[in-house]
Amino acid sequence: MSTSSITNRSRELLADVSPAWFALALALVVATVAGFAHQPGLFVTQAVGGLVYGAILVLITLGLSLILGLMGVVNFAHGALFMLGAYLSYSVVVAWGLPFWTALLVAPILVGVVGVLIEVTVLRRLYGSEPIVGLLATFGLTMMLDEAIRYHWGTTPLGYAKPEVLRQSVDLGITQVASFRLFMVAVATLVVAAVYVLISRTDFGLTVRAGVQDGEMTEFVGVNLPVRFTAMFFLGSAIAALAGVLQAAEYGVNSQMGQTFLILAFVVVVVGGVGSLFGSVVAGILIGEANYLAPVILAGLAEYTGIAALNISGIRGLVPYLVMLFILLVRPRGLFGEEGLLE
Amino acid sequence: MTDHDATARTGDADATAETAPEPTRGEPHARDDREDDQPDPVVEPQAAALATTDIRRTFGEVVAVDDISIAVEPGELRAVIGPNGAGKTTLFNTIMGSLPATAGSVHLDGEDVTDRDEHERPHMGLARSFQSNELMADQSVLENVRVFVQTADRGAFSFDLFRDHRDVGRERALDLLDTVGLDADPEALAKNLSHGDQRRLGIAMALATDPEVLLLDEPTSGMSPGATRATADLVQQVQSELDLTVVLIEHDMDVVLSISDRITVLDRGSVIATGPPESIRENDAVQSAYLGGMREEL
Amino acid sequence: MTDANPTSTDRDAQTDTERGAHSETTSSGVFSRLPDWVGRYRIPIGLVLFVLLLRPVVALPFLLGFESVATTILIIVLFVAAFNLLFGYTGLLSFGHAMFFGFGMYGAAIAMSGHGPAPELGFLVGAVVGVALAAFVGYTLGRLTVGKGEIYFAFLTLAAAEAVYFIANRDPFGITGGSNGISGGAQPGWIESFRGELTVTLIPWPDALVDVFGWLDDWYLLVGLVFLLAMGALWQVVRSPFGRSLIAIRENENLARAMGIDTARYKVWAFTISGAFSALAGALMAINNHGASQEWLSVFTSGDTVLMAVLGGVHYFFGAVAGVFVWEFTADYLTDFAVLDLGFIAVDISRELSHWQFLLGAVFVVIVLVSPNDGIWGYVRAYAARGWARIEEVLR
Repeated sequence: MSTSSITNRSRELLADVSPAWFALALALVVATVAGFAHQPGLFVTQAVGGLVYGAILVLITLGLSLILGLMGVVNFAHGALFMLGAYLSYSVVVAWGLPFWTALLVAPILVGVVGVLIEVTVLRRLYGSEPIVGLLATFGLTMMLDEAIRYHWGTTPLGYAKPEVLRQSVDLGITQVASFRLFMVAVATLVVAAVYVLISRTDFGLTVRAGVQDGEMTEFVGVNLPVRFTAMFFLGSAIAALAGVLQAAEYGVNSQMGQTFLILAFVVVVVGGVGSLFGSVVAGILIGEANYLAPVILAGLAEYTGIAALNISGIRGLVPYLVMLFILLVRPRGLFGEEGLLE
Repeated sequence: MTDHDATARTGDADATAETAPEPTRGEPHARDDREDDQPDPVVEPQAAALATTDIRRTFGEVVAVDDISIAVEPGELRAVIGPNGAGKTTLFNTIMGSLPATAGSVHLDGEDVTDRDEHERPHMGLARSFQSNELMADQSVLENVRVFVQTADRGAFSFDLFRDHRDVGRERALDLLDTVGLDADPEALAKNLSHGDQRRLGIAMALATDPEVLLLDEPTSGMSPGATRATADLVQQVQSELDLTVVLIEHDMDVVLSISDRITVLDRGSVIATGPPESIRENDAVQSAYLGGMREEL
Repeated sequence: MTDANPTSTDRDAQTDTERGAHSETTSSGVFSRLPDWVGRYRIPIGLVLFVLLLRPVVALPFLLGFESVATTILIIVLFVAAFNLLFGYTGLLSFGHAMFFGFGMYGAAIAMSGHGPAPELGFLVGAVVGVALAAFVGYTLGRLTVGKGEIYFAFLTLAAAEAVYFIANRDPFGITGGSNGISGGAQPGWIESFRGELTVTLIPWPDALVDVFGWLDDWYLLVGLVFLLAMGALWQVVRSPFGRSLIAIRENENLARAMGIDTARYKVWAFTISGAFSALAGALMAINNHGASQEWLSVFTSGDTVLMAVLGGVHYFFGAVAGVFVWEFTADYLTDFAVLDLGFIAVDISRELSHWQFLLGAVFVVIVLVSPNDGIWGYVRAYAARGWARIEEVLR
């Protein structure tokens, strides 16, 4: 995950570029320009929306990918933890009457603790067994968490007011952008940078990675691996919860959000490549942008080509799956995935 | 692996520990009067039952198999020995196609099988047993063998949907269990077999595919001296009865010296010597590189 | 498949040299005194008994208390068994099986009702199209995903099913009815519905014979017949050499490939067959539920299927039966059970019990931790085997 391996990988990617790829990229650029020229204001608004959406996807996928790549466990309950963070922030702000900033801290910590409980009581027994068993166990936990959330908060969508400071808009010239959205992107960037430093630049990250390679030897040299794995789980859960808090403040909460975002996170992992944090970040942003820009671009193309059929209504939600299908066909291991992982 | 002697000695110590207490050592059979102390290949790849030509397998920077060329004659029993990490099992995996070769080629009976899928090779007469006990733990001993009899019979894929599996391949599976001495309780679950019996089951499974060339990866590992002897006899017996070509990875030098026609010594991914047992014992390169600490024992 | 065989337990302790001494004790299981065909055909026999007994049993007042759920149970059992061919017998976990069920359900419902722009083609055409579509999607998706490892497979099936759900929700060309699903007119001409009870009018009995044979015009019996045929087919798949290759792949894929089994191809076809039978169950459900609804396509249906299969015991053919039974029973029983009366104090726990899925989730987690392949049916079998052994001992 060092910078040199990233440049190596991008060089590898570039080496694959064939004329067909070049033509495809060119077509995409032309289409994008058409979309922009057609409705510049809407285009920028959607681009920012896509970035925000991508940022949430990146945060969720980060935790999932961290636990999957380092510990070989697919945490199906990750979406439920994200949702729990969102609902907790609602409680902090509305029920307890505390400021939003507290929620930003309290929800991740509480959800982190839930994550630790899950790791200690269930997943710890499953290290070394087949990954599918971990998937099944966390699926059962998802069901319990979902039901517990329904029990406590009910099924009606909820929402709360954002803090005063972040309610203004920022003028970008052609359009206005809510400052909270920029705040979301900033938080996501900070978290990604922090995780990157933690994994690649600290002793903690080094020992965890070593433990994944050779647990026995790492323990032999005096590293307490179980504690480190638990800490990783705390971290992954807390990041999911943080994403939940941001999502809740901007878009509100509902009892389906966990499942929806979990599936999208899986899509991001597949597109980015299993085991690659960098891939998750790129794929998250890519899917977020594709999701928001596809309608604008198609509208632009329909306008300039005169083919009204290109303006497919409701294509948006399908875009992530189309991207995934495309990646699956042309580059099965994902954008930055290592070959053979998890096979 | 900078201190190579140390590595060799560690491997040697392991081997001694696993076979202790030492059984009474018979004189190695002088079973071959061929005086071919020449490097492999002694036969042309086209004439060999199994041949690799400059086969290479790398893992990132590490070269596990470094341009190995061996040619095994039809009916030969070839032992492959070498210290831990010499690349023996990787060589098997590239021959079988479990790991694609980075470069080089594999010929089976003169036919190039380098690009064949792993599952195709057993149908061309190539079979293996595994170093670790790879079996279907929750299935009966009989079913472990029967399903591969069926596979050999019906091919790599078959819509054989209308029969009862119990009517397919059962007799032959029982025969094979009888051959390896596991006929006592064919309905026992494979996971409940002793370690040694599981290794024998591995041989029966390999035989189920009706091979011409059989690769055995440490068939006696973890066995008591008595069982080791019995397994060595078993290998010789099936080889002559079924007219097989056998390639054997083995660390027990008694077994190696007594049953093999020729020995190939690997070290750090390369062949350092090939020849009949007597010449290998006296080969300087082998002695310095591999047998170092084992000389007095021999 | 799990050890119900007491003779093979001491094998670990035996040394190689003592091997010969073991030959006398062969497996003398529970069924040894019954004729051979009973053992060989015990699953079809059990299925027939199940169809015959299900309705009277669920009608018992202390169980579910009403008959009509019996038909639903049969259909869901077929769906879970079809899913289990893939998961329990091939080792591939699909988190998107609702989509196959949905192909059958929507195919039948659209064809029966002539929904939107679709012509009215009747149930059979719709069911055939639905099943064929499921098989086609299963095959194509299988070709794309099967070689990528089981985790990938779970992800990709989940995502594919979500995409299908999304498309149905968007109501392309007005054919799927969006979030309303398809309800009006989704009934074949040979079914009559009276106060929710379905009657089959396929055979025009002469008036004189109606009293004698009229009971045959029973929707439950028709479903039971289709159920037996389909389950019999699945059972034949499982016991055939083809099915044993699937089990070999499940048990040890590396070994299977090294021994000459084309694992990828078998997996693709297992996925195809599983998808087709799931669609058949969906088509039956379209009649049973008077149409198609979106919830059956949702990820929750896929999840419930996984849950029922694992609860029941994925390595057993009857695991599907056990799993569906437990699920339906828990759902209905706990939802009705309102007041916990401890004699001295009565607590209203109906609100807690309406969240029974929490409880099932917990049971599920425990099963996965203890023994993910055995489930409830595995435990029942193990207990039964132990009980039999006791009885045999006493009789001796």
